[in-house]
Amino acid sequence: MLLQVEDLHVTYDTVYGTLNALNGVNLSIEEGETVALVGESGSGKSTLGLSIVRLLPPNGRYSKGSIVLNGKNVVSLSGSEVRRMRGTDVFMVFQDPLNTLNPVKRVSTQVLEALAVRAKKENKAFDQREGISEAIEKFKDVRLPDPEVLIHRYPHQLSGGQIQRVVIAIGLLLKPKLFIADEPTSALDVTIQAQVLKLLNSLKSEYKMSVIFITHDISVAYVIADRFAVLYGGEVSEIGEVSKVVKSPLHPYTKALIESIPKRSRKEGELVAIPGSPPNMLSPPTGCKFHPRCPYVMDVCRTENPPYTEADERTLRCWLYERPPT
Amino acid sequence: MAGFVAFLIRRVANAFVTIVLMIFLVFILVHVVAPTPIDMAKLVSPNPRASMQDLENIARDHGFYEPIYIQFVHYVEQVLTGNLGTDLQQGVPEVDLIAQYLPISFEMVLAGSILAVLVGLYTGAVSASNRGGATDYAVKGLYLVTWAAPIFVVAVIVQLVFAFWLKLLPASGIANPLLATPTRVTGFPLLDGIIAGDWAYSWSVVQHMILPALTLGLASFGVVTRLTRATMVDALDKDYVKLAYMKGLPKRKVVYGTALRNAMIPIVTLIALIFGTAVGGAVVIEELFNYRGLGYFAVASVYNLNYVAILAITIVLGISVIVANFIADVLYGVIDPRVRLS
Amino acid sequence: MENEVPLSGQSGWRFTVRFLVHDRAALAGLVIIGLFLGWGLVEGVMQYIASYTHVASWGWKLLPSDPISLSLKNSLAAPTLSNLNNLFGANYEGQSVLSQLLYATPHDATASVLVVASAIAIGMMIGIPAGYIGGWTDEILMRITDAFLAFPYLVLAIAFSVLLGEGFTTVLLALVLIWWPTYARYFRAQAISLKNRNFVEASKLSGVGPLKIMLRHIFPNSIDPVIAQATLDFGSVILLYSTLAFLGIGLELNYPEWGSMSSLGVSYFPASWWLVLVPGATIMVIVVAFSLIGDRLQDLVAGRLTY
Repeated sequence: MLLQVEDLHVTYDTVYGTLNALNGVNLSIEEGETVALVGESGSGKSTLGLSIVRLLPPNGRYSKGSIVLNGKNVVSLSGSEVRRMRGTDVFMVFQDPLNTLNPVKRVSTQVLEALAVRAKKENKAFDQREGISEAIEKFKDVRLPDPEVLIHRYPHQLSGGQIQRVVIAIGLLLKPKLFIADEPTSALDVTIQAQVLKLLNSLKSEYKMSVIFITHDISVAYVIADRFAVLYGGEVSEIGEVSKVVKSPLHPYTKALIESIPKRSRKEGELVAIPGSPPNMLSPPTGCKFHPRCPYVMDVCRTENPPYTEADERTLRCWLYERPPT
Repeated sequence: MAGFVAFLIRRVANAFVTIVLMIFLVFILVHVVAPTPIDMAKLVSPNPRASMQDLENIARDHGFYEPIYIQFVHYVEQVLTGNLGTDLQQGVPEVDLIAQYLPISFEMVLAGSILAVLVGLYTGAVSASNRGGATDYAVKGLYLVTWAAPIFVVAVIVQLVFAFWLKLLPASGIANPLLATPTRVTGFPLLDGIIAGDWAYSWSVVQHMILPALTLGLASFGVVTRLTRATMVDALDKDYVKLAYMKGLPKRKVVYGTALRNAMIPIVTLIALIFGTAVGGAVVIEELFNYRGLGYFAVASVYNLNYVAILAITIVLGISVIVANFIADVLYGVIDPRVRLS
Repeated sequence: MENEVPLSGQSGWRFTVRFLVHDRAALAGLVIIGLFLGWGLVEGVMQYIASYTHVASWGWKLLPSDPISLSLKNSLAAPTLSNLNNLFGANYEGQSVLSQLLYATPHDATASVLVVASAIAIGMMIGIPAGYIGGWTDEILMRITDAFLAFPYLVLAIAFSVLLGEGFTTVLLALVLIWWPTYARYFRAQAISLKNRNFVEASKLSGVGPLKIMLRHIFPNSIDPVIAQATLDFGSVILLYSTLAFLGIGLELNYPEWGSMSSLGVSYFPASWWLVLVPGATIMVIVVAFSLIGDRLQDLVAGRLTY
């Protein structure tokens, strides 16, 4: 087991009071596996990614639970241990290609910074020229055109797709065991998006990394992931094999999500939206957080949060599948 | 590179136009106050009780009977060639007086501004990277109080503590009056002292400079802290900062190497403005520390109704602000490749 | 993590007030500013009555003592808790520092409010057209703005009072001239960022004239960050105003100013420390109060809502 998140609670202190961003998340990831975290904005999927790399914003707090990554509990690591963990155990790329690279430094400088840290961790001497040629090789791996020219450019001279590739290359140079991608393609054009996804797909088997892919787009997740974890209101509402979850979704929220994907066979104007709005996490609904929007709502849903249940080779939280007490 | 040259040329042109416009504004101001040639003559007459005949002669000599646009062209010409009029009290060209007083102020103000900028950058960065923590609140309290305290109160307290209680440093003057002033080479007292190899004098200049510079630094570092903190907080939220952390860089490198470097872009303008306006802002300090630089001269000119001197100082300080802004624009290009290369 | 916080529909005055009150420092600022402006209004009305009825004593009806006449036996009395009149001591002429402070409040309150409001009005009229129309209009208006911005503020204020004659109005005029360019720049930046937004484009396409667009769309949408800046500037105006008074500029006969009170006290410092420090501290407290509110508003405008 590479990553084991157990009963994780994360809160944000805001002017409105305490916001419960994650409420008892369980998630485990095997080596070489790709898991997609799917959910609407505010579901806690980005927070989960940031908590794994210890980059919660200053008002964020781990209030309960543990994140064991490669045998270490991330929540209680010291500053220098966190530094050692980042890059080697885990690497994360972020959403906005325009702000992902430092605008005032050349690409080469930013790649070399990463290589210098890696060399220091491995107690090796660091040679700039070797570093550049290693980076150029890696740039070829991620299908960047003209890597010899491009590496000496500034970020604003690169396109969004190129920047995401550079960041992925930096990640690969560090050889992390777990690669977290937070909506790396959502700001890109559709064609570029497809290319980057294809690239990630081929790289993950080539480098034998585990990948957490954070997205609000089920069709993107379907292309890339082995397993799906559907997040709602800071909880995992359903988690299982992609084929299982997509073909026969059990949780009403997953069903709604999958129905909302526009299909070619459907006529225009029949796009299904999930009725209602995501829960306000400052004052979340009682019981199951999805109950105000759920078409199958029962009395018990309004008062009590469902426990984790195993059903049809997956884990989910829904009273519909709770075995009646024997 | 061609882009950067075009950028520079545009900035130089802008600065020049701004200077001419500023001179125009001063010109209008004067002509509103003194609408007739005789009124104008009264402003520049060294003798407050000059007869009508004298005033008419003065007006004719100065070309005050010429059409207004010709007067303006002459005025711009004069200012740009360094003719700022003849001082009413001392009867010497105003340029010479300013050349005498400005270096004195400049030395002290430079020290104070550097202090303000360094302290401001450091405290701003520290409080941004510890936002919401105790350090953040402590820094905020410190800069709020020093910024909000009127500069004369800061000056008086600094004098009381360091000069009268601790008796560490002198509270007034530029140098010990008992020491002979070295020959004037540059006009900067410290520099002249060093050139002449007069260490006693140089040391005295430094000692006299510390308290006014400290006062200036205390009163103005808060503005830098405030802006640094705000831009740093924004920069620290950017994805490139998270990426820097992800590479495994230590916090110190991320805060100062990545975030501060980016946050500097707007701060540079403020820093240039601080240096540009410092001489004008140091008027009160020079007055209270009896530091006879340009600010002291400005206040003395007010009490003496020395209009020529006041207008000359206004124009010189205005030009220095415009030049400072021009330098900030160029630095922008140096720091930010997006400006330089596109 | 803005996307984690549901913020939609959270704006307007009610929310702003709640946001301010939530921060204890900003709340304290609000209370102090309320007292300052409230007293400024009350005492201002009293002084107006005094000048209207030509009965000067109306001006100090609410004060412990007459702030203008001499009372030499009280000369340099030290601060004491037992006598309200001498709570903050007395000056060489025996006038109560407390009375003078309170008597001078309307000038500072007027200066801050009037200067900032006029500066905003002028800045708006220059900055919005510059940003919205662009091109040569922008070029010309911004060069004028830069030229004003270049004036050394203290020296300009001094030059003004020398050329136009001493007095409260002259100083206000000088302060407005110094201040408006900053706002012109703010409004211009806002107008540039707003002019290509959908709602503006839509009005343009439906044939709404530029003047109307600037008034109806650009101005209301650009005012928020300006208000945050203005709150800070109320304090800065008071600082500069009192600095000028300290230098003896813009004073009116028989009217104490916080700055000039300090200035007169310098000769008795440190023995009679209260003469410098009490007015100085008053200025400081008020400026700090304005900045506490302004900082908080700026957080709100910049979207730094969560911490």
